[in-house]
Amino acid sequence: MAKIKLDLFRFDEAVDTVPHRDLVEVEVPETTTVLDALEWAKAEVDGSISFRRSCRSAICGSCSMNINGITGLACKTNCKDVIKADGSISVDPMPNFQPMKDMVVHMDPFWDKYSRLKPYLQPKDADTDHATERRVSPEDMKKLVAVANCVMCATCYALCPVVSVDPAFAGPAAIAYAYRFIEDVRDGQRGERIAQISEDYLWLCAHCYACSYCPKHVDPNDRIIDVKRAAISDKVMMGERGPRHALTVSKTIKQTGMLAETEVVLGTVGRFNVIAQIKVLPLALRLMSRGKLTPFEMATGGTAPMLGLPSIKPIPKVDEVRTIFESLEVPV
Amino acid sequence: MSSTLLPEEQALDSHKATRSRDSKRYGFFPGCVAKESCKELFNSTMLLAEKLGIELIELTAASCCGASVVNDVNRDVARVLNARTYAQAEALGLDDVITICSTCTGHMRAANKELLENEEQMDQANAILGKFGAKYAGTVTVRHLLWLLIDDIGLDNLRAMVVRPLNGLKVAPFYGCHIIRPESVNGWESARNPHSLEDIIEAIGGEAIDYAGKTRCCGFHIQLEKDNVATDMVGQNMRMAKDHGAEAVLTPCPLCHLALDGYQQDSAARWGRTDLPTFHLPQLVGYALGIPADLLGLQKHLIDPRTIMVERELIS
Repeated sequence: MAKIKLDLFRFDEAVDTVPHRDLVEVEVPETTTVLDALEWAKAEVDGSISFRRSCRSAICGSCSMNINGITGLACKTNCKDVIKADGSISVDPMPNFQPMKDMVVHMDPFWDKYSRLKPYLQPKDADTDHATERRVSPEDMKKLVAVANCVMCATCYALCPVVSVDPAFAGPAAIAYAYRFIEDVRDGQRGERIAQISEDYLWLCAHCYACSYCPKHVDPNDRIIDVKRAAISDKVMMGERGPRHALTVSKTIKQTGMLAETEVVLGTVGRFNVIAQIKVLPLALRLMSRGKLTPFEMATGGTAPMLGLPSIKPIPKVDEVRTIFESLEVPV
Repeated sequence: MSSTLLPEEQALDSHKATRSRDSKRYGFFPGCVAKESCKELFNSTMLLAEKLGIELIELTAASCCGASVVNDVNRDVARVLNARTYAQAEALGLDDVITICSTCTGHMRAANKELLENEEQMDQANAILGKFGAKYAGTVTVRHLLWLLIDDIGLDNLRAMVVRPLNGLKVAPFYGCHIIRPESVNGWESARNPHSLEDIIEAIGGEAIDYAGKTRCCGFHIQLEKDNVATDMVGQNMRMAKDHGAEAVLTPCPLCHLALDGYQQDSAARWGRTDLPTFHLPQLVGYALGIPADLLGLQKHLIDPRTIMVERELIS
């Protein structure tokens, strides 16, 4: 048996204005999970300790919380792996959510983004046109299996640094779930779905891989890239900054071997978008004032692409890079 | 195709291949930003290498690693571009490719992992490389300068080389996502609780600040995507660092550096003034090892690090 001090976040939105903390001692087997330790505390010490849970087997997705500052499923986290040197484990609600009571949070923003996807199959034709069920080959289904494992625990949403500053961002889980329907051969709304998720800021993903901690190995980080690729190959909302950025970066690499900074900035915000350019100008001037960018670099980045010329000096053997782009038929 | 030799080909006899770590000769991949708007990172890296007695052989014909962006356009192109870079290192008899950017590290390691674990992808890459007479045999390891400092130089040796300790300067480490995540690609240290930067800071006489922002994202890759989002990510992280007593920030990534140094001023409206100067890894280590501050390019930063260094009597 092990003695563990649970350092608990306590808050009841019905009565409290500010949260406080309770230290609860539990005595549990050494191999116990954080969820079982919480259950013990609730059963034996304080019945008012609140947290969501159901299956205890990482299937229901209810018990995600912040354990020693790390968000994950309490049922999948072993106490002995996280216990601090002083014998304590701190437990807090998931970040990026409004607390309701103790570890229970308001999940509405997460569900709202999910329901915007219309997360059900919308086939191309009516059921009555089909003599049999709609079939999917094992090959086509393989792509969807990982995402179908999502238990909507919202761990990725809680970990997402973009959500933390801009709640308008769809978040990793919703984009991964959009992928699940976008790549489903039975679905008839591929274009609409890509447009919808693009409007919900698909391209605002910061490439940070915080969602690579997904407890079910859905790897939303990779699915987000898949959806972006689908958007580019289907040419959906190509006037937006995200696709323009990806294509300009690729184009400058093909042309020079390098990512040409000034050209990428102008190509992303829009070469003729004067207002957006005025917004990036102060930073450009600051960089110039410190000699980080030379006026020459600024000028060639601005004008060379219009003349169809590379904006920076190409690397040696750049024709090899072009061979790679051409062999793979990269659309730039 | 030109038959002129690259500088690294002229300098090296490719038939005398030895392990980089034994010969102290490493393939060096500076990445785009260190050659463009963060030239001070490139320069300070070369000065530090000289101090450490190692030879960084720049792969001058290497291309961009894909910058975590070209994957959005095509699933194969970054992998094949990086295979080309590894083939160049192999042709020079170099088995280590050293990076100085977190994003380069993560994406080059991811490409290498795919190539080494997946025969089909290696064959695809070599089929394309073959068109210009190149081949990647799969012998290259990609490592960041940060890992080289700890694994090959060693913290004790580093400590012994310090001639200008930081006098307890409070430094907030800022890792940059792609040097730690995903752990399956990097895995050199724990992604959730890394301590290599802290170890370096302490070895050169500074005090490492612990704060939740150290493993968070700087927002660099979405700076142009939507107004204020990336700026807020900078502000949020720098606020945390400042509130934990930081006087400066240390990062192994020039993209983080551009974001933190470039956007802190703009983030002040929402997060309050933080004004934390940000050092590139080789700048702060180089300073402690006695490289003159002006050669390290500290004057190039938007938030001038020399102010706090004068205040803490590190420079006059």
